[in-house]
Amino acid sequence: MGLNEALQGTSYPPVTFVVQEQRVRAFAAAVADPCGGVPPTFATAPEIAAGLTNVIADPELGLDLASVLHGEQEYTWTRPLRVGETVTAEATIESIRGRGSTRFLTLRTVLREASGETVVVGRSTLIVREDG
Amino acid sequence: MSRRFEDVTVGAKAFEVSRVVTREDVKAYADASGDQNPLHQDDEVARAAGFPGIVAHGMYTMGTLASGLVGWAGGAEALVRMKVQFRAPVFMGETIVCGGTVRSVDPVAHTATLDVWVRVERDGTTEWPIRKSEAEVRLA
Repeated sequence: MGLNEALQGTSYPPVTFVVQEQRVRAFAAAVADPCGGVPPTFATAPEIAAGLTNVIADPELGLDLASVLHGEQEYTWTRPLRVGETVTAEATIESIRGRGSTRFLTLRTVLREASGETVVVGRSTLIVREDG
Repeated sequence: MSRRFEDVTVGAKAFEVSRVVTREDVKAYADASGDQNPLHQDDEVARAAGFPGIVAHGMYTMGTLASGLVGWAGGAEALVRMKVQFRAPVFMGETIVCGGTVRSVDPVAHTATLDVWVRVERDGTTEWPIRKSEAEVRLA
C-alpha cells in the first residue's frame, strides 16, 4: 500500500477557524514573537486543522503519520491574521510525487476572511517514507 | 514601523538571534499549533524513529526564525512570503541560531529578499535545520 495518487487535486471540506486571543498568546510565547499581534506562522494552526488532520484521517490516501517528515513549508501573506477574526481554511492535495521508498505529498491550504478574500496561502510538503 | 528601504544593504547580515530549545516551549508549541504528533512529545516514539529523543517541530523552528525576521523587518505586516526547507532535526536543550542575509532589493516594489537559515552546533559540527530558504519583506 502506497500513497493513492488518484487523490491528487482532492480538496477537503473547508474548516472554520476562530483566531482566539489566548491561543495566539500561547503561540507567540512558544516562538518568542517580539512584535505583538498574531505571529505570521500562527497560520499553521488553521492549516493543520484543515489539512494534516484530514489527510491523516483519510483512509483512501493511505498516509501513516509515523512515516512522515516535514520537508518544506511556504507561506504567502496578504496581511497578518487578526485576533478575534474567523477564517475558513481549505486544503487541497496539490501533488503526490516521487517513486520508490520516498514520496512527496504537497498540500496547499488557503485561509480566507469572511468576504472570501485570501489572507494566507500555505504550501506544505511532507516527505513520506514507504517500506519497499 | 517597517524597516526603511534606505536602511537595507544587499549582502549585509540582517539579523541573528539565538534561542535554547526546551521541552516546555515545544509542548506549548504543540498545544498552540494543534500539531500533536508524538514524535515531538514522546521520547520512545522518537527513538523508534531513529532519533535520540524528541524532535522539535519543523514549524516551531520556522516560527522562531519568523520571529527573528519580523523583529528585524518591523512587524508581521512586513512579511510577504517565506519558503523554507527542513534539512536536519533539532533536539531538546540545543541552541538554535536563526539568521538572515539580504540577497536582493527591489527599489520599485520596495521589498527585500533575504536568505534565511537556522543552524545548530552539534558534536563539534554545524548542522543546518533550515537552509536554502528565503523570505520576502515589504520595506517603508
